[in-house]
Amino acid sequence: MSPMLPPDVVLKVDNLSVVYRTDRGDVKATANVSFELRNGEAMALIGESGSGKTTISLALIRKLPRNAVIKSGRILYQRNQKVQDVLELNSRQLREFRWNECAMVFQGAQNAFNPVLKIRRQFEDTAQSHGWTDKSAVRKRALSLLQLVRLDPERVYDAYPHELSGGMKQRTLLALGVLLSPQIVILDEPTTALDILTQRAIIDVLNDMQRQLNFSIIFISHDLSLAAEMADHVATVYAGEIVELGGVNDIFYRSLHPYTQGLLTSVPTLEHTQDMLQSIPGSPPNLITPPNGCKFHPRCGFADDVCMEDSPPLTADIGGHLAACWHKDRLIESRKTRV
Amino acid sequence: MASQSLNAPLETPGFDRIIDALGRALKSYTVRVFVQAILTIWAVATLTFLLVREMPGNPIDVLIEQILTQEGISYQEAYDRVAASFNFDPDASLLDLYFDWLGDLLRFDLGTSITSPGTEVIDEIARFLPWTVFAVGMGLLISFVLGIVLGMTMAYYRDSFLDHSLSFLSSFMTGVPNYIWGLLIIIVLGIQFNLFNVGELRGTYDIRLVPGLNAEFLLSVCKHAALPIATYVIATLGGWMLNMKSSTMGVLNEDYVNVAEARGLKDKRIITSYVGRNASLPLFTQLTIAVGFVLGSGVVIEEIFVYWGIGHYLFQAITVRDYTSMQGVFLILTMAVVFSNLFADLTYGMLDPRVRISGER
Repeated sequence: MSPMLPPDVVLKVDNLSVVYRTDRGDVKATANVSFELRNGEAMALIGESGSGKTTISLALIRKLPRNAVIKSGRILYQRNQKVQDVLELNSRQLREFRWNECAMVFQGAQNAFNPVLKIRRQFEDTAQSHGWTDKSAVRKRALSLLQLVRLDPERVYDAYPHELSGGMKQRTLLALGVLLSPQIVILDEPTTALDILTQRAIIDVLNDMQRQLNFSIIFISHDLSLAAEMADHVATVYAGEIVELGGVNDIFYRSLHPYTQGLLTSVPTLEHTQDMLQSIPGSPPNLITPPNGCKFHPRCGFADDVCMEDSPPLTADIGGHLAACWHKDRLIESRKTRV
Repeated sequence: MASQSLNAPLETPGFDRIIDALGRALKSYTVRVFVQAILTIWAVATLTFLLVREMPGNPIDVLIEQILTQEGISYQEAYDRVAASFNFDPDASLLDLYFDWLGDLLRFDLGTSITSPGTEVIDEIARFLPWTVFAVGMGLLISFVLGIVLGMTMAYYRDSFLDHSLSFLSSFMTGVPNYIWGLLIIIVLGIQFNLFNVGELRGTYDIRLVPGLNAEFLLSVCKHAALPIATYVIATLGGWMLNMKSSTMGVLNEDYVNVAEARGLKDKRIITSYVGRNASLPLFTQLTIAVGFVLGSGVVIEEIFVYWGIGHYLFQAITVRDYTSMQGVFLILTMAVVFSNLFADLTYGMLDPRVRISGER
């Protein structure tokens, strides 16, 4: 009855399509997205603003805005050899699934805490709602997690949110995120709006936590250096589709999609001079009426007639490196001549 | 040497210390708002003292007029008779009166009634005020709680038929003045539909009963207060509903509500501690303003329903130009408003930790 998954896969997204209903038509925010997340792995979703990264992550906990409709797909979640489809959970099961199995640390934790309740109450609320009523046990676990994110546990636990700085709130939210030992933690731009030193601290904390608590991470960012540092696998999202998916080194050193390539050359690096920076021409397509064929073709230097007609499939290269492009060979050629 | 000692400041350590202590006390927030409150009350009381005396007619004239029309005696005779029985000298200097009154006030003495000498104003207020506090308090409490619940419901079901009809209803309820509601209740429900006997509901309780803690008396008290309370509820409910709706809509868009849902909290918990708690914060400040407004407008409502509260007493006092009674009632109303604001100021921190005053520098 229930579908089988390899034992080390905690999440398998299958053909997920989400549209937003608007007055001007359906916005195809996510189209046929598929990927797998393994136990203890960190996967980064990278792409421009509006590419559909956040839509994918919100769909995973079914926290999409009211006007969103999931058109197709399955989100299979596995714990202890038991597989369930997140899209088929009823509202009570969904409530229990959230945070217990999959926690989400939202973009901008500045307002993530209820301003009138102490941090302690918000930890207790979370635990209690998932059937964990022993307050002293909650306290013990919370304090050890706060310690893990390098905060002064006693002080933070009894503080009100406004008494904490931005970086402290972000770290507190991370601690709250793993309170119930979820298998998956989704991090949506966990370091934006923080200064560079605080960003560094958050990354160190995350690495520590992942090593000690062994959860899987889905990581959404447009900060490529952050993705390079944190992720085991990287998926490039363009116009609601995953256009490239592979190991972190494959993506950053042997990219097989012109869009990923474009993202990489638009970021300054230590070795290159400023005039070697290139931006991707044009802007992301209108997702109400996306272009035919490959959605990237209007902005792509390699595009030809095939690209305008047919959408390239996401095909595997050696080592499971997936890319959706008709002209991988030419891309590899061009990289050789450039360097 | 001599000139030096002349220029040296006088040594007054005791005085310095008092000034110091006063300065420090004034820096404390609580002391400051308290002093402000007292000054406000004094200013308003002074204004009322002057204004009631500036009203056309005075207690003697009012009564002389009555005696003249009733008995047809000469003006001088009427004047002598009234002046003899009144505790009032129309020719006294306003300044003397003011300082007498202020001196009495500092000793918490509101003076005696002008038109019925010997009656202490403070006793009369003590007799009438509790009824008003009961009716206004109940009215505000019911409408506040109801408004919060209905306002949140409207926000949760926004743009539904329920939301639209409740919005219309609340605008309508707020738009019609409260005394019109009072009259409508009497005329439509009491007389047209004969749902209750208007005459029987006069006063604050059935006078055939002996006041005491028994069911019959308490029931009678509630029955007599029911119509004024209903009027207060109808007149203020719409405002609470609309305010709560917009406040809730704002809070529903807050990140922390979104995160609370992602945390898998139970709906009940989110609605009460996350949405309701935050959305009702601004309404608590408005509640204290409403206390003053409803107390003030209660004068007319109590007169309409012949409910013997402080408003009714004030109305009587105005009719016969009983200056001391009027001053007393106005003072009490002013104090009620000022102190409820003060109370809100000092307790708001308990509701919202962000404004809690933590021992100022």
